Amino acid sequence: MATPTSPAAQDAPAEPPSPPSPTASFYDMSDDEEGGYSTIRHSKTGKGVKLLYTKSKVYVHPSPSAKDNIPGYIALIQQKPGLERTVSATPQSSRIHAERNGLLLAWVPESSLGSASDIYTKVELADGDSPPKQSYLVPPPPITTAHSSSLGTYAFAIPLTEIFSILVRPPSVGWWFGSVIINTRAGDSFPALFFHDSECQSTIQQRKKLQRESLEISASGQGMFWGGDEVLRWLKRYVTVERSVQEPNIYLIEPSEADKLSFGSGGKPTSDNVRNVLEGKAKDHPSPSSRNKDAQMDPVMQALKSARWNFLEKMAQVTTFTRRTAQAVAENKNLPPQVRRLLQNPQVQTVSDEFDSARLYLARWAMGIAEQSEREKNQRMWTAKDVLDMEDSELGEFEIVDAEQMSLADKRKPVTLKEWNGFFNSRTGRLEKTPDEVKERIFHGGLNADDGVRKEAYLFLLGVYEWDSSEEERDAKMNSLRDEYIRLKGAWWERMVDEQGTLEEREWWKEQKMRIEKDVHRTDRHIPLFAGEDIPHPDPDSPFAESGTNVHMEQMKDMLLTYNEYNRDLGYVQGMSDLLAPIYAIEQDDAVAFWGFVHFMERMERNFLRDQSGMRLQLLTLDHLCQFLDPKLYDHLQKLDSTNFFFFFRMLLVWFKREFEFTDILRMWEGLWTDYLSSNFHLFLAMAILEKHRDVIIDHLKGFDEVLKYVNELSGTIDLPSTMIRAEALFRRFQRMVEAIDKKSNFPIPTVRQRLPQPPSESTTTRPGADGKPRQASQSSSESARRSANLAVIASGPGPGSSSSKAGASTSGRERTTGDAIAQGIGAEKEKVISPELRILLSKELPKLDKHEVREHGGGVGS
Amino acid sequence: MSSRKKILLKVIILGDSGVGKTSLMNQYVNKKFSASYKATIGADFLTKEVLVDDRLVTMQLWDTAGQERFQSLGVAFYRGADCCVLVYDVNNSKSFDTLDSWRDEFLIQASPIDPESFPFVVLGNKVDVDESKRMISSKRAQAFCQSKGGIPYFETSAKEAVNVEQAFEVIARNALAQEESQDFNPDFPETIPINIGEENQGCSC
Ligand SMILES: Nc1nc2c(ncn2[C@@H]2O[C@H](COP(=O)(O)OP(=O)(O)OP(=O)(O)O)[C@@H](O)[C@H]2O)c(=O)[nH]1
Ligand SMILES: [Mg+2]
Repeated sequence: MATPTSPAAQDAPAEPPSPPSPTASFYDMSDDEEGGYSTIRHSKTGKGVKLLYTKSKVYVHPSPSAKDNIPGYIALIQQKPGLERTVSATPQSSRIHAERNGLLLAWVPESSLGSASDIYTKVELADGDSPPKQSYLVPPPPITTAHSSSLGTYAFAIPLTEIFSILVRPPSVGWWFGSVIINTRAGDSFPALFFHDSECQSTIQQRKKLQRESLEISASGQGMFWGGDEVLRWLKRYVTVERSVQEPNIYLIEPSEADKLSFGSGGKPTSDNVRNVLEGKAKDHPSPSSRNKDAQMDPVMQALKSARWNFLEKMAQVTTFTRRTAQAVAENKNLPPQVRRLLQNPQVQTVSDEFDSARLYLARWAMGIAEQSEREKNQRMWTAKDVLDMEDSELGEFEIVDAEQMSLADKRKPVTLKEWNGFFNSRTGRLEKTPDEVKERIFHGGLNADDGVRKEAYLFLLGVYEWDSSEEERDAKMNSLRDEYIRLKGAWWERMVDEQGTLEEREWWKEQKMRIEKDVHRTDRHIPLFAGEDIPHPDPDSPFAESGTNVHMEQMKDMLLTYNEYNRDLGYVQGMSDLLAPIYAIEQDDAVAFWGFVHFMERMERNFLRDQSGMRLQLLTLDHLCQFLDPKLYDHLQKLDSTNFFFFFRMLLVWFKREFEFTDILRMWEGLWTDYLSSNFHLFLAMAILEKHRDVIIDHLKGFDEVLKYVNELSGTIDLPSTMIRAEALFRRFQRMVEAIDKKSNFPIPTVRQRLPQPPSESTTTRPGADGKPRQASQSSSESARRSANLAVIASGPGPGSSSSKAGASTSGRERTTGDAIAQGIGAEKEKVISPELRILLSKELPKLDKHEVREHGGGVGS
Repeated sequence: MSSRKKILLKVIILGDSGVGKTSLMNQYVNKKFSASYKATIGADFLTKEVLVDDRLVTMQLWDTAGQERFQSLGVAFYRGADCCVLVYDVNNSKSFDTLDSWRDEFLIQASPIDPESFPFVVLGNKVDVDESKRMISSKRAQAFCQSKGGIPYFETSAKEAVNVEQAFEVIARNALAQEESQDFNPDFPETIPINIGEENQGCSC
């Protein structure tokens, strides 16, 4: 809002030209001389009140439906026409002026104006930069100091002296309408007033004028001129308006010294005192400790300084959003032509003059789409509290995604067999698109469930086939793979029959066979394919000999035993049967499914290591991700001893297999296999699920057991399409935040100290990245005893060394430092740091384990 | 400590994969057996309210995965347990042989103040299966339980609901006794840091 080139400054020729200053605050705007005002000092009748300023198309949104919106005027009204000029009031005296002048801030519905409506229009369209030269009298609105909740009468007029603060929300992406909420000294909040700027004649006029006069509108990065700016300007003519440093959207009206101390500048920002300001309760708060001498600094600069992080993030957000959406949107037929034109302008992709308007057009468009949706109920009757709550919610974000999703509607149709075949040269069978194009299609659209396209596509996605292979090459490969499968199958078969190997090996094989047997009979039996018990069990000693089996279960057992042979370092581990079943269900050919599974396992191997180091790493990454994206939720989980994220163990181990229906799993996995955004996209799915329930978790769950139960019981209730969209949005946000931080790190920031001396023994005897120890070390220094106790438990696996992935191995040297930095961030001042675990999430490279690592930590019998 | 008034008994069920832990728990709490329970991944619990000598208590029964490697992450909730149930399959001698190590592992991880007196209960499950398949005799199991300080022993069938109710009654009773003995012990080390932590955090909200 604080545009350096204010219209007031432009229009004040009487003022001596002040040197342009980058720190000029908006206070300057209210200092202009009001030349002709003193000529109006008489009132013919005692009835009317004087309309000083007004603005139309300011709405109350009483219900979720746009139909119920009530248009009205916001107005600054003088009860007793002034006997004095109100120029250059000092803060100490201006309140008295305001009182004497009987100034009211009012909102009246259009429908109630009657014949006065002409006057309102006239005043609105008069040059808004100085008070009207003429006295326009209108019927007095009812004066109120509290928001009466009686329905239908939203009209109010409140003496300026009664206003404690105003919460000002400029329009932004996802929030097309800017709004203000008035909080009274008595602690009341009036309903939010939404400025429908595009319908408001005076705002349109003022914008045009500004555009003519200044080419630097968006230079401040604070957004374009809107109706709320104007209201603040009116007020600043008569009263002191001070922007809160802690909560830059709050403007304090005539703050007392104590208020200023608590909220104006300095003071410790806590959610409590912000909430108090919002609710107008805090005026008598004792001032917190010692006064910050920075208070002399220009409040705008100070606000900017403290908001630097926010500001950078916003910049990154908007540019990415524009760039990313521009193309998809430009092709969309439903889009108004002016938006399309705008987006085709290459300048949109940079921070340019049109930047804000493009952004707002898009936001509005998104809003239009969201109109019918129930999400819109959030626009109804916002109170200060709601808005504060919204700060923490994901709402804005998801409206963007909605818009994008709509624009991608075509891309979100499943790939059919026909489309798939079209990707390949009909003669050579070579892919004619880039693998990335195909992956993008599958990531967003999935594969058709019924036409058999999955059968072939899965082999590409899993890596059985190379993307650049010819059909001939693929046939040859499959032939040799079939041979190899038969060979491997024969190998374990012989083992069983001949009782080869050491006693230990024989025991292991017997056990593994038993394990597989039990697990296959417990895997996806509700799927018709695996349900039957129509053939007698081949092994009379099996516990399932009585109940019988079916051909597909027998194939499952064969494939898993063959895998046990193929990867003896790891062997079969519980959970693997869950990973195989969907692939087999699609391929229904044991050799083909086996190799698909082998490739899938390359990616999933780390989940099954004997020391669980791979699972630890992923849970730790989730910990960092949550801390990074949703610190408030993280704080809560921390209080519940739940930051080990153990409650996500099941979801991560078998990629949500137990949480979704079989058909959803196919859709999800084919998306995950593309590695389109990240090879760890499943962690964003996990975050998306967590985020969806974060309010419930924060408000209602009070212990680790409750969280675990709650999360376990989500099984079968999660909507996949919206979860995938949320996950993508979270990924994009994550990416933007990382970009913003990387930009920010060009500023000098205090270097993060390494707080724990590295035990010398460890650094010499242990490979980097061994075990989950870094985690333990990184946290214990700065967190509560409980938490480290908790972590110690997590870190205390049975095996010692356990480096699990290239990521872990190559980065843990720094891990200690950054982990600590993150831990430090858990406080009021959050310094965001990107841990190596987080940075790896931007990579699309498959996290495969080295063979020797599997050998060391697999827990199999080895070769 | 006022929350202690509402008695919550935490019971941990351990044993090799496939011995029937999940099935036993469901038979006790939900009174049903299904052949299609999936292998347990991670951990979960069921709760049941029961009367023990006219006192209403809530049993929280924790079920974990049986494959050893999954224990390393799951030990967090061993702490604060009031009773540990060790399950084996009477038709599988390996599952009986591992009972001892399950017990040891539990004692290490849960570290109760007095390991000697900590209540365990052993269940030999799947007794419904044909006698010809039986690997572990009652006698052998009882001898083992005797040697470990007289652990109560039951032979059960989750499938046919044999002895399940009776076994869990003893489990509840022993758990309650354990819980109460802790209440009388002001020096119980596990609870002290935890409660301090909770108080601190309570103020900040
Ligand atoms: N005949 C018989 N079968 C049982 C009994 N209890 C369980 N089973 C079967 O044994 C298999 C394993 O049972 P679960 O209850 O899943 O075993 P678990 O101990 O929970 O196994 P994990 O979750 O892998 O640790 C299943 O096929 C059950 O149907 C029983 O009392 N009698
Ligand atoms: Mg189980």
